[in-house]
Amino acid sequence: MSSFPLHNATRSGEAILETEVLIIGGGVTGAGIMRDLALRGIHCILIDRRDLCAGASGGNHGLLHSGGRYVFTDPHSASECRREGELLKRLAPQCIEETGGMFVAVDGDNPEFAEQFPELCRRAEISCEALTVTEARNLEPLLSDKVFKAYRVPDAAVDPFHLALEHVNHAQALNGSVYRPHMEVLRFEKAGGEIRAAICRDNRTRTSITIRARQVVNASGAWAMNIARLAGCTDVRLLYSKGTLLISHDRMAHHVINRLRPPGDGDILVPGGTVSLLGTTSTRVDDLEMVVPTVEEVDRNIREGAAMIPALAAARYIRAFSRVRPLLQTAGTAEDRAATRGYALFDHATQGVTNFCTITGGKLTTFRLMAEKASDLVAARLGNEQACETSSLPLPDGAASRWTDPGASPKYWYQANKPDDMILCECEMVPQSAIDQIIAGAPGIAEEMTLEAIALRSRVGKGPCQGSFCGIRICSYLYDQGHYRDAIGLAHLREFLDERFKGQRTVIWGQQAAQLELAEALHCGLLGLDTLEDGRSMARINDPAGDAHE
Amino acid sequence: MKPELPMATINFKQAALELLPKGANFEACLSCGLCSSGCPAAGIENMDPRKFIRMAMLDMNTELSTTPWVWCCTLCRRCQHICPMSIDVSALVFLARGNWPEDKKPSGIVRSCQLARSNDSTSAMGMPPSDFTFIVGDVLEEVRAMQPAFKHLQAPMDKHGAHFFVNQNSREPMSEPEELAPLWKILDLVGADWTYSSKGWAAENFCMFSGNEEAWREVVKTRVDAVNELGCQVWLNTECGHSYYTMWQGIKRFGLEAHFRLESLITYYAKWIREGKLPVNADWNTKGIKFTVQDPCMIVRKAYGDAMAEEMRFVVKTLVGEENFIDMQPNRSANYCCGGGGGFLQAGMTEHRRTYGKRKFDQIAVTGAAYVLTPCHNCHSQMIDIGRCYGGHYQVIHFWTLICLSLGILGKNERMYLGPELRALLA
Repeated sequence: MSSFPLHNATRSGEAILETEVLIIGGGVTGAGIMRDLALRGIHCILIDRRDLCAGASGGNHGLLHSGGRYVFTDPHSASECRREGELLKRLAPQCIEETGGMFVAVDGDNPEFAEQFPELCRRAEISCEALTVTEARNLEPLLSDKVFKAYRVPDAAVDPFHLALEHVNHAQALNGSVYRPHMEVLRFEKAGGEIRAAICRDNRTRTSITIRARQVVNASGAWAMNIARLAGCTDVRLLYSKGTLLISHDRMAHHVINRLRPPGDGDILVPGGTVSLLGTTSTRVDDLEMVVPTVEEVDRNIREGAAMIPALAAARYIRAFSRVRPLLQTAGTAEDRAATRGYALFDHATQGVTNFCTITGGKLTTFRLMAEKASDLVAARLGNEQACETSSLPLPDGAASRWTDPGASPKYWYQANKPDDMILCECEMVPQSAIDQIIAGAPGIAEEMTLEAIALRSRVGKGPCQGSFCGIRICSYLYDQGHYRDAIGLAHLREFLDERFKGQRTVIWGQQAAQLELAEALHCGLLGLDTLEDGRSMARINDPAGDAHE
Repeated sequence: MKPELPMATINFKQAALELLPKGANFEACLSCGLCSSGCPAAGIENMDPRKFIRMAMLDMNTELSTTPWVWCCTLCRRCQHICPMSIDVSALVFLARGNWPEDKKPSGIVRSCQLARSNDSTSAMGMPPSDFTFIVGDVLEEVRAMQPAFKHLQAPMDKHGAHFFVNQNSREPMSEPEELAPLWKILDLVGADWTYSSKGWAAENFCMFSGNEEAWREVVKTRVDAVNELGCQVWLNTECGHSYYTMWQGIKRFGLEAHFRLESLITYYAKWIREGKLPVNADWNTKGIKFTVQDPCMIVRKAYGDAMAEEMRFVVKTLVGEENFIDMQPNRSANYCCGGGGGFLQAGMTEHRRTYGKRKFDQIAVTGAAYVLTPCHNCHSQMIDIGRCYGGHYQVIHFWTLICLSLGILGKNERMYLGPELRALLA
């Protein structure tokens, strides 16, 4: 096991961290690489400018593709999805709900296209069962009566936050590898064709930290091109595709429901525990910051989704969110959805840097494979000959990582039946003991846990109140427990609520408008959060870093 | 008393869609918790209305199907009353109750329902029609003999074409027959054309509380048939809360054909006072004894609303003097259930019931009133019990007692619920 002196102080008092491998980007790929390398005995530091899954990893459907989605456009990705999906179902069942999936064609969709589907699945070795329309509607009562073709495939729902947390957790336990949130790379120190150190800033404390590493992995997803350029590499070329998704208040289907047509807007509905996720749109953007949903995108998703499940037209939506997918720029790509959903590993050999690599593109379903490929390169460069173990070793089930599962907290609370264990988040039934456990042991915990960080590691704020009540209660609890002092907790509360509001603003109508009035009365009228003066909070607003967590 | 699994589980989310009126489904819940803040059952069995809703949303159907809390919720509907989205939790609690196997339900409730179905009386205490007829006759004879002013008193039985069909809570004929006569005297004084019935005369309905819809329907059907057969115009509900609700809702719910109106005795007390037929006043209350009133959920919040609460206050204030009336807070439609409702008194969960009743006890204690008036037998029993349990200094009395007292016609043996200061006044 490695034993790195993690904290050193230079004469000037500047903090220095040392490790074998610095991984930039706390998405599922970065977390996957961290665990993969730790399993090979390699010490890592994983950093993220915000926190785990802050980018596309946390802003997608949570769909573990059977591969069916890609049989038309990208047979290679389809096969890859099928293999990786099967692996993950076996090795990380705690993060997956095996819902099964359906592909349905509705009146107006091309029947020939629908007819080809089973054969294309067969070629990719994806199991595909033809259903009669009656069978399909018996399985999914909310399906439209305009469905004329339906197939069943082994799609599943996966919780990317749970995945990332378990990976980080395991890596920490294996060899003391470290995860540091809020850590942004400002520049690299290079010498002799190598990166010697990354000069970073802790965005919470505003302090500067130097991380020295023998190898640096760029797993920053949509930001990979920017990070590569910081290292002087110009070979990473990405296109940015903004996708907007919606979360319904209720679970609208048991299966993943896919539209049986060439990929388009609003054609996938994925269950996420007690809710459903509908999406997505696809819009080319140039800017990675300030990516927020628009009403038009929300409407488009609902309009298209309602063709499969008419109840989506009138359902209550909890929030909307947008993220940017990194697409690999290849010659002659006109249509983003037609662009390859494959990944790419850049060793940057032609760029004059020998200890730096970039892995980007791809998709949630294939994150393990991406991590394996990147880790193989890094391990080889370090002269480590241990083979990858992530395709055979089950992912551990950590107590502090389980709270992102919608069922976990209420079941735990009900079974414990402790009247003194007050529920702090009533919507998702998260008791104070769960918050205690997260603060004590969840990966990436900080001395001063923000409400957002707690929310990322639990279901807090995900329910219909969207933080209106639980935000106040948890904040109060943390004051009571001595975690917050002065106005710090209020500043965290405001940041937390700002994020929740960002998700709500495009889906608020009818009764929910009344709810928002109530929330405003609580947060502005009662707590005066609108007039709160806090240096860090203001700094944050002027530094619009990415998008909301889901 | 948690039932053993496997037990049939209800899909509560689905049930809500079917049961609750449009726009009042769980989807609209803000999780604001007003329901729970105002629920005296909150905390019992570690549950409350908001938890019930959230657990339903989180598909915790097994837990909800088996939690004994459904027998601690009194179905008082204060949660719905206060809910900004008007979500009715009690409809689902009722559904959960009905889903329990009969042998796992609280035996007191089940037994009371069985007894009600054991003969035509529909009495939860199983009193057969012949016994009822006998007791009424017996008490009538005694009053005629002992109270010279009422030697002509009538208590008609099965009188065809009478205007009022008056129902009767079983408690009086079964265990406190002396409490029957005050109402007869009032009806006599106002010249009401009324009758008892030997069939379907009883007021109470624990079949409803047991969640057994078929049994509920059967009991109400017997009563409706009895009123129809006698050709009465008004079914006049005695001082009993749920008896009104079970009849009113039962007729609607089961589409029964009723050729009569349902009315509450309180409405008529107020009417007869206004018309001068009941010349009551507060002159007797020379000591300024303080009174408060308990609004029964079943006739105020769940049925008539605040209009009935106002009638009650009119009657009480006339009887005791405006200055001697102190309202509980909150009151009227926002009043707390006492904890005697929903069959709780028969559920065998004494500790939970008293925990529930503590809020009512505190509410009464704050008024400082020496007497609580209530036109509901369950409220009456529960408030007496929690008064004893928590060391209260108040008495609970029926309206008819105070009306007769004010009129100077309260018989010597009709004063069992009076406290020492009122007994002293009458002496």
